[in-house]
Amino acid sequence: MAGPSEKNLLKPGVYYLQGNQACAEGAITAGCRVYAGYPITPASEIMEHAALRLPQVGGRFIQMEDEISSASVLLGASWAGAKAMTATSSPGFSLMQEVISFAIMTETPLVIVDVQRPGPGQGYITTSQEDVMQARWGHHGEGSIIALSPASVQEMFDFTIEAFNLAEQWRTPVLVMAEETVAHMREPLTIPPQDQIKVVNRKKPQDLGISPEEFLPYGHAMVPPMANWGEGYNVNHVSLVHHEDGNVTKYNRDIHLDSVSRIQQKIEGNTDHIARVETRFLEGCRHLVICYGSVSRTAVEAVMEARQERGIDLAFLRLVTLWPFPEKKLREIVRDVDTVFVPEMNLGMMKHPITEALRDRCNRIVPIPTLGALHSPEMILSKIYEELK
Amino acid sequence: MTRHPMLKYLKEKGPAGPRMPTIMCPGCGAGQVLNYTLHAVDEIIHNDGTRKEDFVFISGVGCSARLTSHYLNFDSGWTIHGRSLPIATGALLANPSLKIVVFTGDGDAMAIGGNHFIHTCRRNLDVTILCINNGLYGMTGGQVAPTTPTGTATATTPYGNMEEAFDLCKMAETSGASYVARWTTAHPRQTIKSIKKGIGKKGTAFIEILSQCPIHMKTPPVEMLRDFKANTVSINKSRGHGEDKILIGEFCHMERPEWTEKYQKILEQFD
Repeated sequence: MAGPSEKNLLKPGVYYLQGNQACAEGAITAGCRVYAGYPITPASEIMEHAALRLPQVGGRFIQMEDEISSASVLLGASWAGAKAMTATSSPGFSLMQEVISFAIMTETPLVIVDVQRPGPGQGYITTSQEDVMQARWGHHGEGSIIALSPASVQEMFDFTIEAFNLAEQWRTPVLVMAEETVAHMREPLTIPPQDQIKVVNRKKPQDLGISPEEFLPYGHAMVPPMANWGEGYNVNHVSLVHHEDGNVTKYNRDIHLDSVSRIQQKIEGNTDHIARVETRFLEGCRHLVICYGSVSRTAVEAVMEARQERGIDLAFLRLVTLWPFPEKKLREIVRDVDTVFVPEMNLGMMKHPITEALRDRCNRIVPIPTLGALHSPEMILSKIYEELK
Repeated sequence: MTRHPMLKYLKEKGPAGPRMPTIMCPGCGAGQVLNYTLHAVDEIIHNDGTRKEDFVFISGVGCSARLTSHYLNFDSGWTIHGRSLPIATGALLANPSLKIVVFTGDGDAMAIGGNHFIHTCRRNLDVTILCINNGLYGMTGGQVAPTTPTGTATATTPYGNMEEAFDLCKMAETSGASYVARWTTAHPRQTIKSIKKGIGKKGTAFIEILSQCPIHMKTPPVEMLRDFKANTVSINKSRGHGEDKILIGEFCHMERPEWTEKYQKILEQFD
C-alpha cells in the first residue's frame, strides 16, 4: 500500500453531506484503501466520491467492467491485506451473490453496500427494501451473513465503519443494506475526532506468535487468524470444503459438517454480540411497530402521534441489524403484546423472521407494505387506526 | 531416487495428510505447464533477487485451476470460475509489488471470463496470464469450448462443433496486452523463456500454452505432443506458409505504461 495520508481524512466537525458521500467517507475512515465498482443508480455517488477521495488517502480506486468483477476485486485486495469495498444497487447486488458465497466460505473480510431500488427486473430507480431477503439467502449454499440497515446520513457514515469492523472481527463479508432514501438524503454529518472512532483490524498469525510452519489458514480459533499475501505464510485460499490446513479431500461428511457449521456458528452463535435493536415505549406496551432503515423515520412519528392523539399504547422497535436476525433478543424484550405492525418497503419480507420470533408473544402481525416510496406517517397511522378501532 | 528439482515448491503433505498425488489424469499437459512455470520462477528467484514470498498464484475453476490448489507452496488463491483476473486486479491494487501469476484455461479465460480478460489486457495490469488451452472443458467431461476446432465432436457437440474457434493471442494483443506468446507443451524451453519474460514484463503478459487432454480427445499423449510439433510453425518462419498450421512464438513484446504505475502519479499528488 502507498502510505495512507492521515492528513487528508475529513477533519472532525459538522458537514452537510449526501448519504452516499457519507458512506464513502465512513469507508475511508474505517481504513478502506481499495474500492472497485460499476455505476448504477442510485448508488453511483459512492463510487464517484471514492474515486475522488481514495488517492488522497493513499488508496486505489478502479472502475470495473461489471458488478461481478467489482466484487471479485475485493477478494484479492482483502487477501493482499487491504480493507476493500464496493457499492451497488439491487440488480448489481444480484450479480454479486457469487462473490458473497465465495467470501463466506473463504472467510474473507469485505464490505458490500447495496443501495436498494425496487424490482423485480429494472423496477424503478426509487427507494426499496426488497433485497433484505436476498441479503441473507441470495448466495448459494449454507453460511450466515451480517447486514446493517442505516436510517440517516450519520448512520451511512457510522454503519459503514461498523461494517468494516465486523468484517475484520468475524472474518466475513458484511453488507450495508441502504435504501435510495438515505443514500440521496442530505443531512448534517458529525465527524468525531479520529481517536474516538473505533477501528478494528483483522487478527494475524504474527500477532498470535504463530509461525508460517505452524499456521493453519482455517484453524486455531472460531475466527481463524488471517495472514496476508506477501508475508511468507504460503496461504492458499480455497472454497472447496477444506481441512483447517486448507487441504481438500474426497467427500468427508464430518469435515463438511464441522467446517461449514463453524462458519455459520461464528456469526449465528454470536448474534447477541453482533445484532442491535432500538426501542421506545416498549416497557409493558400493548401494541408494537417493528421496522428498519428509513421507514423507522416515519414509523417513529406515527407511533408518537398515535400515542399523543389517540392515547394508543403503542411502542417502537427498530432492527438496526437485519442479519443475523436478533430472534433471542426480540423474544427477551417482547413478552406479551396484542398487535405487531410491520411497515416495510416490500410486500412483507422481514415479517417472516419477526413472525417466527414472536410466534407465541403476540396475537397477530399486521404488515404495512408499500413499494418504491417511503411510507408517510399518515399511511402507517391509518392502518394502525383501522386495525385498532 | 532423485527427487524432482521443483518438488521444493510443492506441498507434498500437510497437517491433514498427504496432498499428492495430484488430481491430474495420466498424460495431462497441466503438470508440464506447472513444471515449466516453476522452472521460470526458480530462475527468477535465483537470478534477480525476487523473493519467493513476492509471488502469488491465482486460478479460477477447471483443470488449469488445480495448479494453484493445495499442492503449491506459495501464496495462492483457487478462486471463482472466470474471475481470477479481477481477483488478481484486487491483489495488485492492494500491493503492486506482488508478482502475480494467473493459471487459467481456455474456458475460464475466454468463455465465462472473457470480459474480464479483455479489460485486464486493456488496462495493462501487471499480471502474467498463463492459459492452458486444451481445446475443451476437461474437468466437466469434455464439452465444447470457445477454442475447440470446428468440426470436432465433443460431449455437447455430438454432431460436430459448428462454431469457429477463438484465437486467444489475437484477442490479447488487440485488447492491449504488453507481451503475447503461444507455445505448446511440446516446447518446454521456449515456454520457460516466455514465462520468465512475461513475469519480468511490467504490464499484462499473456502466454497461451496448447496442451493435451488425452482422455477427452481420446488420443495417446505422445501422439498429441508429436502433433503439436508437426502442426505448428514459428511466426518467424511462417512467411505466409503457416495458413494450415498453428502459429507459435512471440506475437507482441512492447513497452506500455502499466495501470498501477499510472495511478502512482495520481497518488504522488497527495503525498
